[in-house]
Formats: sequence, structure tokens, C-alpha cells
Amino acid sequence: MPQTSLIRSTSFRLAANYLLLFTLSVLLLGLFLYASVRNEIGHDFDARIVEESESLQSDFAKHGLEWLQDAIVAHGVGGGGLTYGLKDAHGKPFAGDLTDGGYSDEDVRAGWIEMREDQSEERGDGPPEIVRALFTRLADGSILVVGDEQRRSTGVMRAIFWVFVWALAATLGLGTLGGLYSSSLFLRRIEAMSQTARGIMAGDWRRRIPESKANDELSAVARTFNRMFDRIEKLLEANKHVSADIAHDLRKPLARTLRRLEAARGDDAAPEIAKAAIETGIADIQGVLETFNALLRIGQIEAGARRAAFKPLDLTEIAGEVADAFRPAAEEEGKTLVARLETPLPMSGDRELRTQMIANLVDNALRHTPKGIVIEVASERGAGGTQFIVADNGTGGAVAERERIFERFYRVDAARATPGSGLGLSLVAAIAELHGLNCKASDNGPGLRVTIDLV
Amino acid sequence: MRLLVVEDDNDTAGFVLEGLRSRGHEADLAENGRQGLALAIVGAYEVIMLDRMLPELDGLAVAKAPRLAGVSTPVLFLTNLSGIDDRVEGLEAGGDDYLVKPFAMDELMARLGALGRRPTLGAEPTLLKVLDLEMDLIKRTVRRNGEAIELQPREFQLLEFLIRSEGRIVTRKMLLELVWGFHFDPRTNIVETHISRLRRKVDRDRNPPLILTVRGAGYSLRAPN
Repeated sequence: MPQTSLIRSTSFRLAANYLLLFTLSVLLLGLFLYASVRNEIGHDFDARIVEESESLQSDFAKHGLEWLQDAIVAHGVGGGGLTYGLKDAHGKPFAGDLTDGGYSDEDVRAGWIEMREDQSEERGDGPPEIVRALFTRLADGSILVVGDEQRRSTGVMRAIFWVFVWALAATLGLGTLGGLYSSSLFLRRIEAMSQTARGIMAGDWRRRIPESKANDELSAVARTFNRMFDRIEKLLEANKHVSADIAHDLRKPLARTLRRLEAARGDDAAPEIAKAAIETGIADIQGVLETFNALLRIGQIEAGARRAAFKPLDLTEIAGEVADAFRPAAEEEGKTLVARLETPLPMSGDRELRTQMIANLVDNALRHTPKGIVIEVASERGAGGTQFIVADNGTGGAVAERERIFERFYRVDAARATPGSGLGLSLVAAIAELHGLNCKASDNGPGLRVTIDLV
Repeated sequence: MRLLVVEDDNDTAGFVLEGLRSRGHEADLAENGRQGLALAIVGAYEVIMLDRMLPELDGLAVAKAPRLAGVSTPVLFLTNLSGIDDRVEGLEAGGDDYLVKPFAMDELMARLGALGRRPTLGAEPTLLKVLDLEMDLIKRTVRRNGEAIELQPREFQLLEFLIRSEGRIVTRKMLLELVWGFHFDPRTNIVETHISRLRRKVDRDRNPPLILTVRGAGYSLRAPN
């Protein structure tokens, strides 16, 4: 069986999906931030220039061109960060740093212009600076230029850009690593599960999935599976026993019949021997058939095919009839059969099957008790609801034996001598289960008490 | 009795036919459903014994069709199906009784006897009488030789069934099914103990004894002759 590859594992795919979503959201956030910062910075950049330009214009209006010329020089040296220029009406510069950049005369109207400034003193031989400048025509036709190097704003934008590139890289890297790590953890536990399953397939029914201390859904699944394995193992075990028990139970009468028939086959066999062989043969084979019928019936009931025929009928009504039917036989055996059925037990079910369920319980009580005991068939209101009880005050059985009396072919050691297939109580259990009832055996102190709980 | 056996299994058919003929009955055999249905409608039989699973036409259909044609010959299903629902299905389809294979010939004969003499029509008698035993079905009283006998309801039912089958064998199984409604065989001797109680009340110190045990088969109520 090939191992699941880490990359193709469900948990990794899940992690990858989350990673993709997360990356997308980081990207979106970056774009949004970038756009809004850029907008804001651009706005500030322009506002500063406009403000400066307007202040210079008002200076010009008050003091004239000469004054403006001096102011430009003073501001440019002053290090306010802006650059200035003054051109005459024909576009010829006569003051300020902003001389003839890459713009033609036609451009020299008014408004924003981005131009290249070749000789940047600060940066020497560096790449040409882009300068964004506002051209304003003054009243006398000369032009005032106020601008700034865009480097200042692009620097900020570049910094933001790289922060996001690194953040994205970190997200992708950490996300991938985290995904791989959690997937491998997950895969390791899944692998432990499938290893256990493979072991069980190979026949090692003792194996169980290791249950981690973490109380997560995976360990819940592991626990559920382990419980399932427990149940299957138990069923298999029971099945193994049943097959062995069937073989054992049927071999004895068949072997006996065979022996007797062989003895009767000889020509010189006395007619009485032949007759006896036939009689025991018939009895034994009838017993074998009965066992088979009981097994088939249990099988059918367990298959639950009969639920369609369910009708509402009080269990106490059936119990009363069964008790009446068995009472003379009980008295004949020197036992007392008491019915206490005042508490009604209304329920829906199959009349015939429920009759047999109660009859088998009474049958069982009658067969495995000594003379003089009292068998009680009763309905009661218990803590968890109503219950139906068949109890005797006989010898009962050991605790370990009590738990097994509903198993097929199980017979308590003391009962081995009495005739019976060991299927009567299994049938009771099967019928109870079909009706959704819970039946259990307990100590009646002394004796056996079988309780059927109605929910 | 004139009987029809519809059965495709040669072994079972041979066993049943031989058993019937050796007891002096006249029996025909149909080996499939179609032939069985044809004979059932025209044959004027007293009882039809019908296998559930037949070639060509299912036993249930063979039981149903004659009723539709107005033929009301009693039908006894003989079947391998021991399913709990199978009996109900058989009876619903118009079967009158149901016997699961394998069965004893005595059991079959007892059932046939009960079916063959089942009163088809007419007013039910309210007073049953066998020799000096009288049963009043309305007043629910029983008298023997004029003396009142106290019976439990179930004992009354049991005796009624025996009287109605007078002179014929009724098996334990029939009594369990028809008197108690038990379609299974409890290990406890329910029938035996009830019969012995009934005997004590009906037969004790009286002659002749009316309730007879037929060894290995069942019980019978003595017929007048």
C-alpha cells in the first residue's frame, strides 16, 4: 500500500487553500494601502507646492518681480526642500534652480508638469531626477515655477512596497512550512490508523489504534474505531463459539443415531434393537431439527424483517395468558407461578414473538429450578420507566454465568444435564432487541431475575 | 377422502402419497403450480395440500385463484419456509392451515381430518353433545351425566375443541396453535398438564373415559361408536 504523499494529503491541501486565501488578502491589503498612501502622499506633495506657489504669488502682487526674484533665491537656498524657477513671458528662465528642463515653449502655459532635472547637485552622477512642478503665469506674463523632486514620495512608496513583498514572502514561507508540519502530524496519526487496520486485515484482532491524549476529533474517531473493533472481535469470538457449539450439539445425537442404526443393520439384529434404533433416531433427529429451527428463527428475528407486523398491545395481557398456560405445569412440578401484572406495559410489537419471549423466560425458570420455588411474572414501575420481570428464588447462577445466559448455546454448568438447546434465552434477547427493549439478568437474592426495560 | 397433493419435490410427494393411500385415501399429484391450479378447480377434492414454492406458478397464487373461481376447497400449505411471516402470508392468501416440513404423517392426517370436516356453512350449534357429555356454548356450562362440571375458560376451550373434533386425532401442536395461539413448542408440558386437569374433571370415576391419549400422535375424544 503506497504511503500518502505529504503534498497530496488532505490536511496539506487544506493548509494550501488557507495559505492562498491569506496571501490574496495580504496582497489586497497591500494594494489598498499602497494606493491610499500614494494618493495621500501625492495630495500632500501637490498641496505643499500649491501653497508655496500661492504665497509667492501674493508676495509678487504686493512687492513686485524684483522682490519675488530675491525670495526665490532665498527660499531655494533656505532648504525648504522645494525648487523654484522664474521665466520671462517667452519661457526663458532668469532666476531659480529650475532652468530649462525637458520642456518646450509650448508647454509653458500653466499647470503641472513633470520634468527631468539632469544636473542634480546633491546626487552627483546619479540617475536623473524627476521633478514635478507647478507653472503659474504671473500678471506681467512671466512664469513662476515651484516644484519638488518626486524622489521624496517614491522613496516612501518603495519602502511600503518592499515591506509588503517581504510580508508576502514570509506568509508564503511560514504557511508552507506550517502546512507541511501539520500535515505530517496529521498523516502520522492517519498512518497509525491504517497500519492498525492493515494489521487487523491480516488477522491480528488484538491491535488497536493508539489513542492520543489530545481530545480532538481524530482521537474521537480513533476511539470509535477501537470500540468498533472491540465489538467485531467479540462478535467473531461469539460466532466462532457458535459454530463450534452447533457442531458439538449436533454431533452427539447424530453419532448416537448412526451407532444404533449400524447395530440394527445386521440381518441377525433382533427386531427390538431395530425398533429402538428407529425410535431414538427419530427423537434425536427431531431434536436436531428443533435446534436448527430455533437458530433460523433467531436469525430471522435478528434480521428484523418482522417489524412491519407490529401492533400496539399491552405486554401484561400477553404475560397473563402465558402465566395461565404454564401454571398447571408449574403446580404439577411442585412450583408456584405468581403473576403480578397491575402496572400496564403498553407497547407496540408482534404478538406471537412477544408471547414466545415471555413463554421462553417462564420455560427457562421452570426448567432450571428445584421443587418448591416461586416464579414471579411481574410488571413494575422502576426508576427509568416500566419494566417486565420474570424472577425465581431458585439457585440462580454465578455472576459470570449470568452475564452470558443470553448467548447462543450458552448453558450454565448446572444446566448441562437438563435437556434443551441453550437457545431459549438467545431467542428472548433477539426478540427484545427487535422490539428495542433492553433485557438483563441479575441476582434475585437468591435466584435469577430477568428484567426487560420498556423505555 | 379425495385429496390433491401439489408438490414438486419427488421425495416429499412420494412420502405423502404413500402415507395417504396406505390410510385408505384417494390422492392425486400435481407436480407444478399450473397443473395444480387446473386440478384444484375441476377436481372436486376435499382438501388440497399445497407446497409454497412451486415451478411455473407460486403456491400462494394457486391458493388464491380457486377462491376467485368460487371453489372453496380447504387448502393446507406444506412448506419448507419456517419464516414467521410465511404462515401469515399463507393464511392471508386463503390457506386454511399451515404445516412446516418436515412433519410426521400423523400430524398431517390430524390436520386433514380437521380440515375435511370443517363445517362450511349453516348455523353453528349452540349445544354440543358426545355420549353423556353436554356443552352449552351460550351459557358456557358443561354437564356429564347431568352433573355440572366447573371448568376454567382455557379448559372449556380445550374441551370444546376436542368435542368438535370428536373421533379424530388432534395433535399437541394443533392444540397449542388453536387453543393457546402458541406457534412454537414450549418445553414445558402445557398441553399435557391441561389435558390431565381436564381429565380429572371430566373423566374421573366415570365410565367410559372420554379423553383418550393416542400414543405418539395426540389426543382424541371418544366417538359414540
